[in-house]
Amino acid sequence: MKITVPHMGNVYIAVKILFDGLGIDYVIPPLNNKEALSLGSKYSPDEICLPFKLMIGNYIAGIKNGADTILLVGSCGPCRFGEYSELQFKILEHLKYNVDFIVIDAVKSIGLNELSKRIQRVGAESNKKSIEKIKSFVRAYNAMCLLDDIESQAHFKAGYEKNKGECKKLLNACKEEVFACDEPDKALKLLKYYLDRIKNVPADYSKNPVKVAIIGEIYTVIEPFTNLFIEDILMDMSVSTKRNLTPSWWLKDMLLKTIKLNSRELLKASNEFLPLYIGGHARECVGEAVLASKENFDGAIQIFPMGCMPEIVSKAILPTISREKKLPVLSLIVDEMTGEAGYMTRIEAFIDLLERRREHVFAWN
Amino acid sequence: MRVGIPKGLLYCKYHPFFETFFRGLGAEIINSDNTNKNILDLGVKTCVDEACLPVKIYHGHVASIKDQCDFMVIPRIMQVYKNEYICPKFCGLPEMVVHSIPGMPPVTTGPLYMHNKKTLFKWCLESGSMITRNRNRIKSAFELALKAQNNSRSGILQQKDITVMLAGHPYVVNDAFLNMDIVKKLMAKGIGIVTEEFAPGPDSEKQVMKLIKKPFWTFQRNLFGASTAFFQQGKIHGIIYLSSFACGIDSVVIDLIRFHIGEFPMLVIKLDEHTGEAGVDTRLEAFTDMLERRVADENNRSAHGKCLYSG
Repeated sequence: MKITVPHMGNVYIAVKILFDGLGIDYVIPPLNNKEALSLGSKYSPDEICLPFKLMIGNYIAGIKNGADTILLVGSCGPCRFGEYSELQFKILEHLKYNVDFIVIDAVKSIGLNELSKRIQRVGAESNKKSIEKIKSFVRAYNAMCLLDDIESQAHFKAGYEKNKGECKKLLNACKEEVFACDEPDKALKLLKYYLDRIKNVPADYSKNPVKVAIIGEIYTVIEPFTNLFIEDILMDMSVSTKRNLTPSWWLKDMLLKTIKLNSRELLKASNEFLPLYIGGHARECVGEAVLASKENFDGAIQIFPMGCMPEIVSKAILPTISREKKLPVLSLIVDEMTGEAGYMTRIEAFIDLLERRREHVFAWN
Repeated sequence: MRVGIPKGLLYCKYHPFFETFFRGLGAEIINSDNTNKNILDLGVKTCVDEACLPVKIYHGHVASIKDQCDFMVIPRIMQVYKNEYICPKFCGLPEMVVHSIPGMPPVTTGPLYMHNKKTLFKWCLESGSMITRNRNRIKSAFELALKAQNNSRSGILQQKDITVMLAGHPYVVNDAFLNMDIVKKLMAKGIGIVTEEFAPGPDSEKQVMKLIKKPFWTFQRNLFGASTAFFQQGKIHGIIYLSSFACGIDSVVIDLIRFHIGEFPMLVIKLDEHTGEAGVDTRLEAFTDMLERRVADENNRSAHGKCLYSG
């Protein structure tokens, strides 16, 4: 069995550390690129959302590199993500690729027995002892947390750094080096080393950079290819960004959801505007916008793929939050047709607006 | 007390329940008009741009009666069957409407779980308390409303020589303005119509069981189950799928059906606020012509699937 996984931000690094630890054969498809997108859009339904198309592209690249099993997480609605596995399986079958799907689904929809059976299918491939397996899981989880930490520090510090571009350089070097490393323990050490270095980047805290919260649909905010590397663009503009949705947050959220202790602060903040779960991360998006205004952010950028059902609801609510909490919000909708020039212009204009808004005497805050 | 009930989305399915309930409490019911150009324009103006056409039209219905009523029923239908949703937009419908349309009267915001009598009654208590504090009155109105709902039936069944299944969400199939009166157009051509409501339950259930994952959308289960069951039984000659542009559920269901029925004729009509009627007419004509020829030439087809002789 040779396993492949679809991309989502830096998850591939943690997956590599996990499989290296377990000793399972795997293929990491090339990072999301134009080819994956065009292959994906060719074989997917027209109106399905962007993540689906990119994932199809990833699978095909993975299969061409020898993978025969696809590992995927699932959910049980009401957002489309839960139906991905069904349709993707049919599409790959139709394309005559002979692959197996292992879907780590929500307990609610398949039951605990089936879930453990599926996890065991992956686990059975490894010839390590149980204790080693658990260790590898913990190590991969730690790596994900460290990566997310490094990334968020770099993104926030970009506004304060003394030597422009240092954070970005460090972040890129970190990803490259860790991915090249085949020993899980060494990779973890490297991550810790880089976290230390990011923390020690000389910064000037008397600066007052523009601060922007990145909110919206989880895949498009985490996967840089889909949002045309918005966080890198903003780093280059010396804008501090904060993003709450990360892969490690998602894992924590999924686990804590079973005992209803997940992200309480966010949900409390969203209560005023959207008191119920409506699928996807619409409620989190609304909560983050409210929190961003509380934490004195200058603005928020919402990103979601064209046609995303939950985010359309939050997009309807955001103007009210923007008005009441005095927080400018820019909604960016991405799909395979997004043009870079128009996209950049809008981001630049938005950041300019935030800068000038501060200086203006009669600005509406 | 004037209660506004907009005639959009699942009104076509659940109007007996809501109307009987509020009439039973002695409220005056204000309905919006049937969908028309005005309502569509109002909806497009107020609703968030990315939403699908039925949601936009719903916004139009709300905006057209918001000044005439003291409070409005905006049903937040979470689930119709257990653990099955409709669409995230239904779950957040009251929020979408209230934040998009200024000057709204109070609206009902409680969640509706149609499969559970207890929570349904809770919703009625909550919404009824705006009219009366008398629990018994609410209870009796609720019972009446349940009865009215259970006695109602919707759907179209008209079998003819050539019959198509008219698939689509009920609020698309039943709204003559939205779908440009497709039912009438098909009837005028002498084409019979069946809708998902008349699918044999056990058969469509069997089809749904073939899916790898238990569906969590009611419309997905209904439409996939019904169309593949009809197809299997050979009761229909084609499928016409009415779908609104950017509908998340349809983007999955249409392809699932396609993978299942293979080369069987299926016409997908995408509807949005820009859809031109002439184009739809042409496509309908071409599709029905094709069906007619297919039925007439059925015995004269070569094994290659190519028609060799046309009498």
